[in-house]
Amino acid sequence: MNSLYMPKDSLIHSLDPRTKMIFVIFVVISSFILNDPALQLLLLVALFPLVLLAKVVKPYLVSIQFLLLFAVLIMTVHGIYNPIGVTPVFEIFGGLTFKYESMVYASVMSFRILVIGTAAVLFVMTTHPSDMASALVKWKVPHSFAFILLSTFQIIPIIAREAKIVMEAQQARCLDVKGSIIQRVKNLVPMFAPLFIITFMKVHQLSYVLECRAFSRKGTKTSLRETRIGSLDYSFLIGMLAILAFEIYVKLFAMGSLHLTTDALLTYSLIGTWIVFGFMIVKFLYKQLQGKIGGAN
Amino acid sequence: MEPYISVKNVSHVYPGGVTAIKDINLDIHEGEIVAILGSNGSGKTTLVKHFNGLLKPTTGEVKIGDLNTRKERISKLSSHVGYVFQNPNHQTFLPSVRQELAYGCKNLKMSEEETDTRVQRAIELFQLHDRLDDNPFDLNSSQRKEVAMASIMAVSPKVIVLDEPTTGQDHKGCKRVLELVKMFKEEGHIVVLITHDMHLIGELNCRTVVMNQSEKIADDHASVVFSDKNIMAEAGLQPPQITHFANEISHFDPNRTYLTVESILEWMEANQEEDVKVGTRS
Ligand SMILES: Nc1ncnc2c1ncn2[C@@H]1O[C@H](COP(=O)(O)OP(=O)(O)O)[C@@H](O)[C@H]1O
Ligand SMILES: [Mg+2]
Repeated sequence: MNSLYMPKDSLIHSLDPRTKMIFVIFVVISSFILNDPALQLLLLVALFPLVLLAKVVKPYLVSIQFLLLFAVLIMTVHGIYNPIGVTPVFEIFGGLTFKYESMVYASVMSFRILVIGTAAVLFVMTTHPSDMASALVKWKVPHSFAFILLSTFQIIPIIAREAKIVMEAQQARCLDVKGSIIQRVKNLVPMFAPLFIITFMKVHQLSYVLECRAFSRKGTKTSLRETRIGSLDYSFLIGMLAILAFEIYVKLFAMGSLHLTTDALLTYSLIGTWIVFGFMIVKFLYKQLQGKIGGAN
Repeated sequence: MEPYISVKNVSHVYPGGVTAIKDINLDIHEGEIVAILGSNGSGKTTLVKHFNGLLKPTTGEVKIGDLNTRKERISKLSSHVGYVFQNPNHQTFLPSVRQELAYGCKNLKMSEEETDTRVQRAIELFQLHDRLDDNPFDLNSSQRKEVAMASIMAVSPKVIVLDEPTTGQDHKGCKRVLELVKMFKEEGHIVVLITHDMHLIGELNCRTVVMNQSEKIADDHASVVFSDKNIMAEAGLQPPQITHFANEISHFDPNRTYLTVESILEWMEANQEEDVKVGTRS
């Protein structure tokens, strides 16, 4: 029931949460420094070995799907309609033309989403929520604030589970959840009203439980799970620093002479996202179809 | 007679791989009360969720009347099988008891008159006349549970499924559940009831299904099940104290299982016990 955290035994898991937080910040900064589709793509590819190393490839791919949806939308819509584009690259049916400048803009934006998303997912999947909170406390973030953050992570799966029960409970009251769009919008009330009430009750209860365990006591608190910065963390940090320095160097001195972003790269990455998106749709339809055959739910 | 609920070789595997019920066969007929017993996690809830289609069998088949649950919508099945959830907070949310009662009929798009008739019947059955304008959230927990039950009954389903109706209830609440179950039966409903309350089953004197580790290990009248020491031990169950007491004392008819205090008193009176004067101490 613990948020997205995937307990595994890996190098990435054993890093101090603070190192990983810095890593996320590092990736965000890098994605802004490397303001070029080719380099962003390189960054994205470079992150993948870390996902592999953390042994979370499958859950990563599942959660990144959602961001890919954004990427496809941005790349397609911006590529065609963004007014900054002037140089046509290729045309699809109906005279819709993808233009170079807008494609660059859209690729940078969507790759950035994917890069930052990857880093964030990697962080959340490899860091125990309690460690996240204790890392924050070590950075002098107030304990109660760290706890709020932590409990938010933990309450999401609880709410999701309750939502499922409420949905079933309402269906047991003859609510048709597979109706028209209007019907579905109306269904939001019987879904969310009980869910809100239950969540409030739970949070209220939680506050009592916390008080019973001396949560608001003044003074320092110790943590059950100790995290320590070790040699692995230092090498990781130094590595990041080196890469950052290199990025800044490239940005300042080499960008002008570097022409990595070609029409072909842009076109292929656009088509690539379409293909992946197509796969997702096919998989989705297949599942729906299976559900229909398996029984009208 | 054709069973109303027919469960044939049903297994259910949850996504994630937990097999919650294994190869269950169960026929439930018109006019029956069936109690389902078993320790936590033995698959009781999973089994009854198949009756209104909330869960579809992974293998096997469930039929309600002549409806195959695999092919029907939950909302339609729910008009035949009313399922009262354990926690009324999941089910009730409207600002007044009256609206709560009419909600199911509205979902089924019944006419105004039809809805009125059914709501009226529920009001009569549950004696809710004085509480119609109360907000369910202002009622105490056993009253709320009753409102949840009434709102399911308002649709007039043939079957009513109660998931642990007495858990967390005070003595009065438990007695009320007993009354209601008997009343449902009299009104011609089939009652399926999940419970840990052996006393309640003793009082109902009904058919009892025992679940253990995803399998059905017993299905017989309560008096037979309660006197089967092996079954009781396997499922980790303890019969009602009075049954246990009667079993341990040779004095009583050894071929009978006593489920209630009243049944023992009856026996004593019938046998003209001299040294025991029944009812003199009260
Ligand atoms: N939604 C679910 N997903 C996965 N496993 C579940 C789910 N619901 C119940 N289970 C598992 O199925 C088994 C039977 O559960 P349940 O039918 O709720 O038992 P009972 O009602 O007898 O306590 C348990 O091992 C439980 O952990
Ligand atoms: Mg249960």
